[in-house]
Amino acid sequence: MAEIKKVGVIGAGVMGAGIAAHITNAGVPVVLLDIVPEGAENRNAIAEDAVKKLLKADPAAFMHERHAKLITTGNIEDHLDRVADCDWIIEAVIEKLDAKHAIYGKIDAVRKPGSIVSSNTSTIPLAVLCEGMPAGFARDFLITHFFNPPRYMRLLELVAGEKTRADALQAVRRFADVALGKGVVDCKDTPGFIANRIGIYWLQCGVLEAMEAGLTVEEADLVCGRPMGIPKTGVFGLLDLVGLDLMPHVLGSLAGALPETDAFHAVRREPELIGKMIADGYTGRKGKGGFYRLDTSSGKRVKEAIDLETGAYHPAQKPRLDSVEAATDGGLRALMEHPDKGGRYAWRVMARTLSYAAHLAPEIADDIVAVDEAMRLGFNWKSGPFQLIDQLGPAWFAEKLKTDGLPVPDLLETVGAGTFYRTDEGRPQHLAFDGGYTDVRRATGVLLLSDVKLRSEPVARNASASLWDIGDGVVCLEFHTKMNALDLGTLAMVGKAVRIVADGYQALVIYNEGSNFSAGANLGLMLFAANLAAWPMIEDMLVQGQDAYKALKYAPFPVVGAPAGMALGGGCEILLHCDAVQAHAEFYVGLVETGVGVVPAWGGCKEMLVRWSASPLRPRGFMPPVIKVFETVGTATVARSAPEARDLLYLGADDGITMNRDRLLADAKARALDLVDGYTPPEPPEISLPGPAARVALTMVLYGLRKLGKATPHDEVVAKVLAGVLSGDGTDVTESLTEDDLLALERRAFMELVRHPATIARIEHMLDTGKPLRN
Amino acid sequence: MATYTAPLADMRFVLNDLLGEEQIGDLPGADEVTPDLADAILEEAAKVCEGLLSPLNRTGDEEGCHFDNGVVRTPQGFKEAYRTFTEGGWTSLACDTEHGGQGLPETINMMVEEMICSANLSFGIYPGLSRGVYLALKAFGSEALKETYLPRLADGTWSGTMCLTESQCGTDLGLLNTRATPGDDGAYKITGTKIFISAGEHDLTENIIHLVLARTPDAPEGSRGISLFLVPKVSVAEDGSLGPANGVSCGSIEHKMGIHASSTCVINLDDATGFLVGDLNKGMRAMFVMMNTARMAVGIQGLGLAEAAYQGAAAYARERLQGRSLGGPKCPDKPADPIIVHPDVRRMLLTMRAYVEGARALGAWVSLHMDVAARHADADRRRQSQDLVELLTPVVKALFTDIGFEAGNLAVQVFGGHGYIREHGIEQYVRDARITQIYEGTNGIQALDLVGRKMPAHTGRYLRSFFHPVAAFIEEHQADGALEEFVLPLAKAFGRLQRATAWIAQKGLADPEEAGAAATDYLRLFGLVALAYMWTRMARLALGHGGGDGGFHEAKLGTARFFMHRLLPQTGALFATIMAGKGSTMDFDEAWF
Repeated sequence: MAEIKKVGVIGAGVMGAGIAAHITNAGVPVVLLDIVPEGAENRNAIAEDAVKKLLKADPAAFMHERHAKLITTGNIEDHLDRVADCDWIIEAVIEKLDAKHAIYGKIDAVRKPGSIVSSNTSTIPLAVLCEGMPAGFARDFLITHFFNPPRYMRLLELVAGEKTRADALQAVRRFADVALGKGVVDCKDTPGFIANRIGIYWLQCGVLEAMEAGLTVEEADLVCGRPMGIPKTGVFGLLDLVGLDLMPHVLGSLAGALPETDAFHAVRREPELIGKMIADGYTGRKGKGGFYRLDTSSGKRVKEAIDLETGAYHPAQKPRLDSVEAATDGGLRALMEHPDKGGRYAWRVMARTLSYAAHLAPEIADDIVAVDEAMRLGFNWKSGPFQLIDQLGPAWFAEKLKTDGLPVPDLLETVGAGTFYRTDEGRPQHLAFDGGYTDVRRATGVLLLSDVKLRSEPVARNASASLWDIGDGVVCLEFHTKMNALDLGTLAMVGKAVRIVADGYQALVIYNEGSNFSAGANLGLMLFAANLAAWPMIEDMLVQGQDAYKALKYAPFPVVGAPAGMALGGGCEILLHCDAVQAHAEFYVGLVETGVGVVPAWGGCKEMLVRWSASPLRPRGFMPPVIKVFETVGTATVARSAPEARDLLYLGADDGITMNRDRLLADAKARALDLVDGYTPPEPPEISLPGPAARVALTMVLYGLRKLGKATPHDEVVAKVLAGVLSGDGTDVTESLTEDDLLALERRAFMELVRHPATIARIEHMLDTGKPLRN
Repeated sequence: MATYTAPLADMRFVLNDLLGEEQIGDLPGADEVTPDLADAILEEAAKVCEGLLSPLNRTGDEEGCHFDNGVVRTPQGFKEAYRTFTEGGWTSLACDTEHGGQGLPETINMMVEEMICSANLSFGIYPGLSRGVYLALKAFGSEALKETYLPRLADGTWSGTMCLTESQCGTDLGLLNTRATPGDDGAYKITGTKIFISAGEHDLTENIIHLVLARTPDAPEGSRGISLFLVPKVSVAEDGSLGPANGVSCGSIEHKMGIHASSTCVINLDDATGFLVGDLNKGMRAMFVMMNTARMAVGIQGLGLAEAAYQGAAAYARERLQGRSLGGPKCPDKPADPIIVHPDVRRMLLTMRAYVEGARALGAWVSLHMDVAARHADADRRRQSQDLVELLTPVVKALFTDIGFEAGNLAVQVFGGHGYIREHGIEQYVRDARITQIYEGTNGIQALDLVGRKMPAHTGRYLRSFFHPVAAFIEEHQADGALEEFVLPLAKAFGRLQRATAWIAQKGLADPEEAGAAATDYLRLFGLVALAYMWTRMARLALGHGGGDGGFHEAKLGTARFFMHRLLPQTGALFATIMAGKGSTMDFDEAWF
C-alpha cells in the first residue's frame, strides 16, 4: 500500500483551502491550485489569498503558523504539473459536474501512476462523477467528503465505487484516520451520503415545524439543542453558521438527485422569509446576520433574533419551557412527551428525523454505527439517531409513531422490544440490518476507555477520579468531575495510583474521554474556602497538590500523560510532572493561574523553570529562563495546539502527538510500555536563580507590558509576586535551590495573592462568566 | 406586675460606640442623624413605650380581640393608643420623606421597634405590617399606586397586611389557589380565602391595604405563577378618598396561644378589585423583599420580648427573699437573702442578658448594613452590605426569636410559681414569643434558607461579607493582651463555624438531606459565633473605657466574659452534632415513629 507523502488540492475555496491546511497539520506538503482569475495580474491570486486567509482564520486552520510554508500555491493552467508527484489529489472545485469532469481530465493527464484522486463533493454520487472517465481513473477514484472547518470537524465520509481499488481506499482511509485524525465513515454511493442526508432533513423539519407551530427561533433552538444532546446553536443558529445562501443549492441538488418517493421532498421547500433574507444579504454570520444578529448600534453588543412571521429583529430572549426543564431529569423522552409547545415541537421534528434515519439506514450505510458516527462527528450531536431512539426506548417510539398515524420504519419492527445497542459479556454490540447483533468494530490501534469500562470494574474509584486496568500492566487514571476540575478527591486518587501501580503494575497513563483533559484546580472550591477566610484549608490544598504531583514524578514506574482538549492550570501542572506526554493534536494547554490572580503553585513555576533552564532553545545565562517563564506564565499564555505547546515547552521535545482522538490512549499506553524497561525515576533537580537582581529585569518586562496597555493594576500586583517566585526570592546565583524550596515559594506567593480582594473578584468573575476579569 | 424601662444606655453604646467603629462613609440622609438627635428620638420613643404601650400589654392579653359578624374590635385602649402613636409620627419613622416620612435610618428604627415589642408586641404588629406593605409597594408598585397609598401607610391613616397563607398552603406557596382574573380596566378581580392574616381586620384604621398573592388564569404552575396584588378593604378613588367597600371580608378570628391583642383573621376575597404590584408571575420576588424586612422585624420582636423578660426577672430576683446564699447569709438582717445570690439564678439572668445585649448589637450591625445597602453611593459597598443582610437575615430571625422564647422561659423559672400564674405578666412573654419562632417562615425554614440558599449563593459570596471581617478582626487582635480572653474563644468558635460550613457545603452539594439535617444546629452555631464577634468587639470598647461611668462598662465586660465562658462553648457540641451527619436522623424508619 502506497504511503501518502504529498497531496494535491485543486480548488482553493473555503473547503479546499481548509483541507490543504489540515493536511499540513499532519506535516505533509500540499500543492494548492485554483483557476486563474479573469484578467488577473497575479495568476496565482486565488490560492495565495486563500493561504493568507487561512493564516487569519478564527478558529485557526493551521496548528502552527509555520505549517503554511508546507503549502505550494499555484494555478491550474500553469502549475498542474506540480501534482505530478502527489500521492493523493483532492478535487474541491465548484459543485458542477462539467467543471469537475474538465478538471479530472487534466489531472488524469499529469498524475503519476498509482496516485489516488478523490472528490470532496457533498451531493454528487460517485457513479455520476466517474461517467465517461477512463477505467484507470475510475480505479483510482473515490469520494472523500470533509466537513467544515476541516481541522475541527472530525467526520470524513468515504465513498468507493465498484471499480475503486481496495488498496487506494485503504491508503486514504489509513492516512485520514492516523495522519489527519479523522473519524472515517464508509458511505454507500447515495445523494448527500449520510450526515447531510439526515442533517439537512433535520434542519428543514426544524425550520418548517417552528414556523408552523409559531415557535420563536430562540425557543426552537432551545428545544433542538442541549436537551437533545445537540450543540446549542440548534437549528437556526446552525443555519446562520453554515450560511443561509448555501441552503437553496443543497436543497436543489438533493431534490434533483433523490427519488420522488423520498420523504425529503415533503420538507424541501424554502420559506419565503429565508428567500427574502438571502436576497437582502442576511445570509448568516458571514453576512449581515441571519436568524440572529449582533446589533452594535448602541455601542453595546446586543444579540437580536428575527421574528419568523414579520421578519423584524428583536433583542434575543432567553425562553423558558417546561418541556425543556422536564428534560433535565427526564431526558429526551420527557421532552418529547411534554404537552407544551416545546414538547410538541420536539416530537414533530425528532419523530420525523429519527424515522427518516431508521428508514434510510440500510440504503445509505453499512450499519447503524456508521449513521450514528456520521451525525456525531459531522453535526456534533452527542448521540446519533439510533442512540437517541435507544434513549427513548425503540418500542415506545414505534408505538407513539403508530398512535400518531406515522409510518413505522422496518428497522423499528426489527429491533422490537430490544435496543439498537447492547453490551454482551462486556463487548459493545449493535443491531445489524439482518436482525442479529454484531460487535462494534474498533480499528487496530484504537483503545477506548469507554470500552474498558464496559468490560471491567475500576481498580479504584472515588467521586472525582478512577483507576482502570487497561491491560499489559498499565493503569489508566481517569478524572471525572465537572470540567474535570481537580479537587482533593482527584489528588487522593493520584496518591492511590502511585501506591497501586507500584504494587503490581508496570506503568500509569493519565487520560480521560471528557471534552477537556482538565480545566485545572476546582476554582469553586477555592473560592468557597476563600470566602470563608479558611486560609489554612487553601494552603492544605496546595500542599496536597504539590505532594501528589511530586509523588507522581518520583514514582518507581513511568507515568505518561495523555491529554486532549484543554489542560489548564493544575491540569497543565500534572502533565509537567509526567515522564512523557502523548498529546492529542487538539491540545490547549497553559498555566493560566495569573488570569484569576494567583500563581501556579502545584509545581508549575518550578517545572517550567527547570525546563527552560535545561532547554537548548534559549540563550545562556541565568536570566533568560526566568524571563521566558515570566512571560509565559505572567501573561497566562495558552498554546492553541500541540505543536504550539512544544514551542512554549509545555510539551517536551520527546513528547508525542496523536492526530486521532480515538488512538490517543493506545499511543500513550505504547509509550508508557516503551519506558518500562530500565526505568529509573528522574534525579531531583537543583537550580540556581538570580534572586533580587532578576526582579529589576522582570520589572522592565512588566513595564513594557504596562506601556502596551496589556497590564491592569492587579496584573502588576500578581506579576510582582510571580517575579518573586521565579527569581528565587532572596537567593542568588551562588546558591542552589531544591524543588522543595521552590514549592515553598510558590505556596507563599499563592497564599499572599489569594487573600487579595482583587484576586477573589477575578476568581468569582471567572466562575460566573467563564471569562477573565481585567481588574 | 413587670414594668418596662427602655435600655437607653445600652442602645446608645451600640449606636454610638459599636456602630461608630464601622468605616462606612457617606450615607445620604442617615448621616444627618447626630447622636444628639438619635438620643432625643430614643428618649421620646421610650416615653411612648413605657407610658402608653406597656400598660396596655397585659390588659390587651386578657381581653383579646373581639369578633362580631365580620367586625373586629381591638382591646380597650388600643384605638386611642394607636391614635396617639400615629400623631406622634411613630409609624413614619423610617419611611421616605417624599411620602411624608421622616427618612430615619434603619439603625434607629430597629431600636424603636425593639422598645415597642418589649412594651406590647401585639400592638406593634399592626404598624409593623404597615411598614412591610409600605416597603413592598415602594419597591414594586406603579407610580400611581405609590402616590395614592404610600403617604397614608406612612402616616398610619391606613394599615397593611400580607395575605399569603391559605389552608392548604403555608410554607409551600406554590400550592396557593386564590385566583386573579384580569378585567378590562387593567385591574383584577381577586377571589379566594386567606388564613392566619395578622391585622387582617381591626378598628384602628379607616382602611386596610392587603397585599395578596394570587394566580392569574394562564399562570404557570407552582411558585413561578404567583403574582402580587394590592387589594384595599375599602375602595379608594384617584384622589385618595374612600369609596364603597371592596369584596373583602373577615370570616373569623383565631383563638390562639399568645399575641391575643393582635387580630389573626380569615380573610375572604370575593371578586375584590385588586391591582398588580410588580410584574406578572413575579410575586415571589416582591414577596421576598417584603419578607426579608419582615424577618428582620420578627427577629427584633424576639429581642424585645427577651429584654422585657430579663428586666422582669432581674427585678424579681433582687426582691424575692428565699433561702440563704451558699456562701453564707448576705442579708442577715432580713428573713432570707434575695434569690439573686444563687448561682443558678445568676446563670439564668446572665444567660438572658448576654443573649439580649449580644443580639441588640448584632441586630444593629445588620441594620446598619441595611442602611448601607439602601443608601451608599458606591455600588460595590451597597452590594457587599446587601450580601451581609441576605446572609444574616435568617440568622437574626431564628436566633433572636429562639432567644426570645428561651429568655421568657428562663424568666418564668426565676419567678417560679409566680411566673406561672398570670398576675405578674411573665408567662405572657413565653406565649407571645412562641409565635415569633413560627411566622414569617418557621425557624426550621430559616435554617434551610441559610444552608440551602444563602450559603451556596454565588459560591459562598454572601459568606464573605461575614467571614472576612471576623477573620480580619481575629488576626488584628489575637496578640492584643487584654483582649486575649475574648479573642481566643472567638477564634476557636469561628474555626468550628468555618469547618462546619465547608463540610455542609461539600456534603450538601451531593446530598441536600445532609445540609437539611445540619441546618438548625448550624444556624445556632452561626448565631453564637456572630454574637461572640459582637461581644469581643464590645469587650474591646469596654476595656478602652476603663471605668468610672457607673459600672456600665464593667458590667459590659462581665457580661462578655459570661458569654465567652458559659454560652459560647455550646459551639463545640453543635459542631459535633453537625459533623455526626444525617444518618441517625434519616435512617430511622418512618414506620417506627
